[in-house]
Amino acid sequence: MVQFFQQLINGLSIGSVYALMAVGYSLVYSIMNFSNFAHGGVIMLGAYFGFFGLTLLKLPFAAAFLLASIGTLLVAILVERIAYKPLRERKAPFLYFIISAMGASILLENIVIATIGPTFRTYPEVFPRVPINIGPLAIGRLDLMMFIISAVCLTLLILFIDRTKIGKAIQAASYNVKACALMGVNTDRIILTVFGLGGFLAGVAGVFFGMKYTVYPQIGNITTKSFIAAVFGGLGSLPGAVLGSVILGTIETFVAGYLSSQFRDLIAFVILIAVLILRPTGIMGKVTEDKA
Amino acid sequence: MSAILEIRNLTKKFGGLTAVGDVSFDVREGGIVGLIGPNGAGKTTIFNLITGVYMPTSGSITFKGTSIVGLEPFRIADMGITRTFQNIRLFKNLTVFENVLTACHMNASYSFAEAILRLPSFRIQERKLVEKAENLLDIMGLKQYRDLVANNLPYGLQRRLEIVRALALNPSLLLLDEPAAGMNPDETEHLMQLIARIRTEFKLSVLVIEHHMDLIMGICEHIVVLNFGQKIAEGTAEEVSRSPQVIEAYLGTTEAADA
Amino acid sequence: MDWTYIQGILMLAGINLIAVLGLSLLTGFTGLFSFGHAGFMAIGAYVGAWISASPNSTPAGLGLPFFLAIIGGGLAAGIVSYFIGRISLNLKGDYFCIATLGFGEAIRLIFNNVNLFGGARGWPGVPARSTFPVILVADVIAVLFLANLVRSRHGRNMIAVREEELAAQIAGINVFKYKMISLIISAIYAGVAGVFFAHYMTFIQPKMFSLTKSTELTIIVIFGGLGSISGSVLGAVVLTALPEILRAFEIWRLVFYGAAVILIMVSRPKGLMGGMELTPGGIRKAIAERNALREAKKTLLAESGNGQED
Repeated sequence: MVQFFQQLINGLSIGSVYALMAVGYSLVYSIMNFSNFAHGGVIMLGAYFGFFGLTLLKLPFAAAFLLASIGTLLVAILVERIAYKPLRERKAPFLYFIISAMGASILLENIVIATIGPTFRTYPEVFPRVPINIGPLAIGRLDLMMFIISAVCLTLLILFIDRTKIGKAIQAASYNVKACALMGVNTDRIILTVFGLGGFLAGVAGVFFGMKYTVYPQIGNITTKSFIAAVFGGLGSLPGAVLGSVILGTIETFVAGYLSSQFRDLIAFVILIAVLILRPTGIMGKVTEDKA
Repeated sequence: MSAILEIRNLTKKFGGLTAVGDVSFDVREGGIVGLIGPNGAGKTTIFNLITGVYMPTSGSITFKGTSIVGLEPFRIADMGITRTFQNIRLFKNLTVFENVLTACHMNASYSFAEAILRLPSFRIQERKLVEKAENLLDIMGLKQYRDLVANNLPYGLQRRLEIVRALALNPSLLLLDEPAAGMNPDETEHLMQLIARIRTEFKLSVLVIEHHMDLIMGICEHIVVLNFGQKIAEGTAEEVSRSPQVIEAYLGTTEAADA
Repeated sequence: MDWTYIQGILMLAGINLIAVLGLSLLTGFTGLFSFGHAGFMAIGAYVGAWISASPNSTPAGLGLPFFLAIIGGGLAAGIVSYFIGRISLNLKGDYFCIATLGFGEAIRLIFNNVNLFGGARGWPGVPARSTFPVILVADVIAVLFLANLVRSRHGRNMIAVREEELAAQIAGINVFKYKMISLIISAIYAGVAGVFFAHYMTFIQPKMFSLTKSTELTIIVIFGGLGSISGSVLGAVVLTALPEILRAFEIWRLVFYGAAVILIMVSRPKGLMGGMELTPGGIRKAIAERNALREAKKTLLAESGNGQED
């Protein structure tokens, strides 16, 4: 029983980090109707920015954290300007966006390999490794921090989308970008905001990921799982992305704990296949129809 | 004269919305029937139901005595029903010739293996396809545009190409969805003559959706009027134009409009 | 630079070409994008290796002749693609992409975690059977096969699916069947390429068949130009040979790839050939199209001057 709750806590903590990543995918999908595969590369850069902030620049943790997130915010916007905006202007079919995204993803990953190098880096210990004990359960301080900060960030995001003017504009754009533009909404600014938000959260997720595991250029591959979580929850839905991530993180941890860690990565794909067969739009995704 | 298409109590609901409600009408063999009604009346939905793009909620669609409900669109095309689209759906990056040649595919039966190995059966049948495509373009006055990429055709000719492509499938029933959209009176006149001509030359029946009343009144022998998914009138051009329900649907009042 | 070195590059290009040709049918002619074809290469490679490896090596194989490995590897990839197709071909647009990505990665993960085929360490004892003449012959067959298929009603139907799926349906084309056949053929090609790859490298590891490899294949198809076989040939040769020659810049190869992809998509998505074929017939067709456009502009300009439209 104790093991059950222990695994549950682990699952929720990794799920919350997946949620930070997944939300970035869903935000972009909701407005632009394509899967931004460059997101993984941005997350990876977040891990590196945070790492160098702590080691090279010797910044205190909070400052390094902020530096990383602002850095990824800028990178995400840069990618949008260079790889997607020209396609938007030419009204290219969405598949071209995916290819461009793939190109950006490969570019980011390999620029890091070519310049900084492929060796794994380990974050210096920020939180003491001594876990907090609540009765028979042990909660890692890092895991607790991850969960709390992720929850805070996600809550702020959802409030932002729900309460602010530009948040409402984003909601409107997610239904029909063209109509929005016709209503006088600056769609370019909305797209920038969406990428900026996703980029910021990618930085947070990247730093946490680097702290919990290690820093290496292929981190982007792990984020494929968060992408699957976004599909599971329903591409285009923020609550769906969070829900899908938490469920995926929890199932993954249980499988690794009770069965074998070998199958942990595979479970994400089993879920993906199940989703695609049974309900491709996911738990809460939006459905689009083609008018004959 | 028998009916080539029989629609009985056809209904299509999308969730709470009834797009088509209990509609029944026939298309007589060799006839030209017009399907008219204000926008959103359910006309294109009926086309989509006939061609198998949508599944009816209830009701029957019988073609040449066989029910075609639940069949896949390509099977229905095989049986002899083809259509054109409201927003032109040509193979835009292919040439005029390629658009028609592609549509001729059902006139050949060679397999993948025969094509890949370039067996005689392939060569003979392929030559026949090319002949048929060239012939169609010739008859329909598009021969000079043979190598033009379809996207570069002027609008009126694009519509004509769509009709030619439909004819390549040897249909018995041709569904035309607003073929005169965007045309001036001159072009519309040409189109009317074209439709009448292909009806006779290709031995077809035609069901046409249109908003251009001169075309409808000019060539349709029978007209069905829809509004909000229901059939509100049916008959000859004169009968329909005198029907109070039709006048109300289009003009919103019971006062007679100038004819 | 000696002949063996050049030969090596050409052989690698020739192997890549087979996979690229298959993907060209699926993406360039049928309009379906896949990010999982490295998975089919992996299946071909492992099944092929298993068929031809000696029973004395570890992992052990069947020790059968090479051509059986080619057939076996290709067939295995084709069969797997059939099941993947049943699940994912009905999905819209980028959901199909996502499915291929998922399957490609899943296949790699399975090979990585299943020790029967060597796991992450891979399979070291594959006999060296891929020789220059064999690959050359395979390439010629692959190109002819594809060219004859594309220039037939079946090929035209696939192109119609790419152009306007709904209109293709209405034109009597069984869209699902053609998508499936296109997928299976592309998978068989990738599987065969995998077999040749395994018997050239003489060892295989799951990480050789990663998402990056799948993306590379798609990039080559796009670079060469969608809908052009000669484009795919050129693309495969150039994009395989170039980085090998610039061996010193190995680590920058993929950086170049990534940047090139973005550049192509943003400035010339039609790729090198842009749908045109570098054959006598292809060139004639391109010229005919250009002339037709010029003629049409002339006549229509004249007619609109008279206020008349045909």
